[in-house]
Amino acid sequence: MHPALWVSKTGLSAQDTNMSTISNNLANVNTTGFKRDRAVFQDLLYQINRQPGGLSTQNSELPSGLQLGTGVRVVGTAKQFSQGNLQVTEQPLDMAVNGRGFLQVQLPDGQIAYTRDGQFQLNADGDVVNPDGYALEPAITVPENATNITIGKDGTVSAVTDDQSAPVNLGQITLVDFINPQGLQAIGNNLFKATNASGDPAEGEPGLAGLGTIEQGSVEASNVEVVEELVNMITTQRAYEMNSKVVSTTDQMLQFITNNIG
Amino acid sequence: MDKALYIGMSGAKQNMLAQRAHANNLANVSTTGFKKDFAQARSMAVFGEHHPTRAYAMTERPGSDLSAGALMETGRKLDVALEGEGWLAIQNDRGEEVFTRTGSLQIDVNGLMRLPGGELVLGNGGPVALPPFDNVQIGADGTVSVVPVGGAPDELVEVDRLKLVNPPSDALEKGLDGFMRRKPDQAIDGVEPPDANLRVATGFLESSNVNAVEEMISNLQLSRQYEMQVKVMTTANENSEAAARLLQNL
Repeated sequence: MHPALWVSKTGLSAQDTNMSTISNNLANVNTTGFKRDRAVFQDLLYQINRQPGGLSTQNSELPSGLQLGTGVRVVGTAKQFSQGNLQVTEQPLDMAVNGRGFLQVQLPDGQIAYTRDGQFQLNADGDVVNPDGYALEPAITVPENATNITIGKDGTVSAVTDDQSAPVNLGQITLVDFINPQGLQAIGNNLFKATNASGDPAEGEPGLAGLGTIEQGSVEASNVEVVEELVNMITTQRAYEMNSKVVSTTDQMLQFITNNIG
Repeated sequence: MDKALYIGMSGAKQNMLAQRAHANNLANVSTTGFKKDFAQARSMAVFGEHHPTRAYAMTERPGSDLSAGALMETGRKLDVALEGEGWLAIQNDRGEEVFTRTGSLQIDVNGLMRLPGGELVLGNGGPVALPPFDNVQIGADGTVSVVPVGGAPDELVEVDRLKLVNPPSDALEKGLDGFMRRKPDQAIDGVEPPDANLRVATGFLESSNVNAVEEMISNLQLSRQYEMQVKVMTTANENSEAAARLLQNL
């Protein structure tokens, strides 16, 4: 069959993947702590149909051969860990990381996941949990009679209780950083897991050793740029249409030869 | 039976190969740093003990179009695009030094700088390796500086410099992995020397230099050419049918 069919097929599927990436970014334009993805394209390997420098006769060689490419692939998606805008919410348990670093939550199976989404609440036991009910790590428990929880820029959590005039220290929130955040595996629910590519988490106090500070009463908005995504959508759609035009042209050629030779 | 049938057949086949080259260009219309391939036809006369009337056409790739694509702003600190001439030297998975214009750099877990496909990016002396850092910056001449972990924002430490090379365009060819390298007959002794005058723009990527409209037109043109070759084949068939009819009536 005509090889241009398979080459254009790779073009179509790569643009298709790109469109899924773009639509996922746009769908998450209002997701707190979301980091946008970008599809990375790479050309596939080339095949030698005729070797350059091959002998066309005993004493003449081909000046240039024929090497044909086999198409394109999406080699991966790269998460862009740029900072989103900070939105002030005035909620005492909302926190945003201003700078590098991730908050940690404990999954039901005991593993630790990492997030930039700092919308936390209290559960019935007074534990600080994320919207899915996963506990913040290191765990912070707020006593029943506490009022006015304060989270410092360095992650110190304190609260004023009814029976004491001085604030009570409830614990210390730490952040972790990775040498290669792009290598983290997104598992949904605004959470990431460490992988071999991301490296091991390096834990530290907020504001020290290059880690960002914690801003109480704000959350970090998604870093999706709508205009950029819409422009990418247009180019993706047109590239898809052009590749499909090659497929239909090729199909017509095959139809032509079937109708005329036979 | 006239042998024109074979000429038409080989013409149609070579048209298909040329179409595949253009389809590959079009498939890579969104691939950053991609350089489109040319496809041309060469006439190949057949020599032998006969009247020299036969010339077959042969599709070949004389080279790739090395012109620059448009610069796309990404805003990412580790995206670099070459301003004007030059290439980024990288090491492919077979350990060879090859050249690319794709500048989407990434830092792996060991601090090595790599391309998305895993190829190591070369610096002054071998692959670029970064110490643990809080912030990284690539200067206009390819200098890579970092703020070490815990350092003050103004304490930039120079780590390495991206190896930017500028071999002559006519000495380069695209290898089977899609990266550029020197042609075997244009090889130089030792490694390619870096060129200190080359400049990179950070926060930009170079788009593919494929002109989608041009590739589509080429594809349509080749498709019509193909139909003409098929027409030659059907005509050769009709001619031999007519000859056979004449011989039947003798």
